[in-house]
Amino acid sequence: MSERRVEHVMGLPVIVDAPAADDAAVDAVFAWLRVVDARFSPFRPDSEVCRIDRGELGASDAHPDVREVLARCARLRDETGGYFDARAGGALDPSGLVKGWAVDRAAALLPGPFCIDAGGDVLVRGGPWRVGVRHPLRDDRLAAALRLSDAAVATSGAYERGDHLLDPVGGGPARGALSVTVVTRSLGAADAYATAAFAMGARGPAWTAGLRGCEAMTVLAGERVLCTPGLGGLRVPLA
Amino acid sequence: MRRAVAALVVTAVAVVLLASYDTRPPTTFNPNSALRRPPARATVAPRPRPPGTLSAKGPLLTTPFSTIQVQAWVHRGRLVDVKTLYLTGSDAHTNALNARAEPLLREEALEAGSADIDVVTGATYTSESWRDSLSAAIEAARVE
Repeated sequence: MSERRVEHVMGLPVIVDAPAADDAAVDAVFAWLRVVDARFSPFRPDSEVCRIDRGELGASDAHPDVREVLARCARLRDETGGYFDARAGGALDPSGLVKGWAVDRAAALLPGPFCIDAGGDVLVRGGPWRVGVRHPLRDDRLAAALRLSDAAVATSGAYERGDHLLDPVGGGPARGALSVTVVTRSLGAADAYATAAFAMGARGPAWTAGLRGCEAMTVLAGERVLCTPGLGGLRVPLA
Repeated sequence: MRRAVAALVVTAVAVVLLASYDTRPPTTFNPNSALRRPPARATVAPRPRPPGTLSAKGPLLTTPFSTIQVQAWVHRGRLVDVKTLYLTGSDAHTNALNARAEPLLREEALEAGSADIDVVTGATYTSESWRDSLSAAIEAARVE
């Protein structure tokens, strides 16, 4: 009994590696992620998120999960001084939280240790698992490697999709940082904080240093790396 | 002199409280996470305390955010050092303040290496690139 499966869901390849889980448990994970996609996708006109955005569905009448996510988006917007913004691009798009939130929830469906990779955002239980941090300029190299158990790690960067992250406060594409990696307990938080810190640009590292229960590594333009003090304890040397 | 010290302690407490007063809600915390305790703070070398320095402890004060007690050192009527003896509060505000006081960031050069790993963070492949890659892999498999 050893399950490792890749499926394409929520617009991303999702890899579930769960050595102690059976087929049914992994099926349940992907079924859950599809339910989330149907409900939250900003690209599906019939999703609750799109219906709320068009004014056809009141937020208070939405599914409890949608209400929970939107409330958490609002809190994250406050916590990040507006740098995490589910309306950064104009239309309602809580995807920056949804993916991590959905994977956090999926954890309850899997027995034993697992590693879930949702398009480069990773949640692990048990292990330890060895998680590479992609080099922001060379996709065949790592900028760091971490040894993690019961942790979430997310990285925001501009390398894959160009300037795909917007600076909701200053406007325009986020600049100043090449990538921001955040390690914490929940993938929803890791993803949202990495997104916000990346949008902050050069101010991001100082902000990450104040995040409780989080460690962060920011690669700035000029190939300077700034790490929170506890990150070193999670690292393994690179070859 | 004792009264003067006590007055200075009160002043010091007031200064600490004022310094910790924040009109904005805490901007930084993650309610779900307690990945690790913050690392021990770097020890700060004690300030010089010349002969004749007097010290006194302030009262335990409870604020909406925490309970705090400080000790003050006074030399010739001037406050020369203040130490926080007691500070509680696991709430976000206090932790955000404590976090700000931590020695902050480590700077290093960017590495470009490799390691034996299970997974990579940051590989946010777009659907298109993933599908292209999958198609190419299927194509390659057919040729094999």
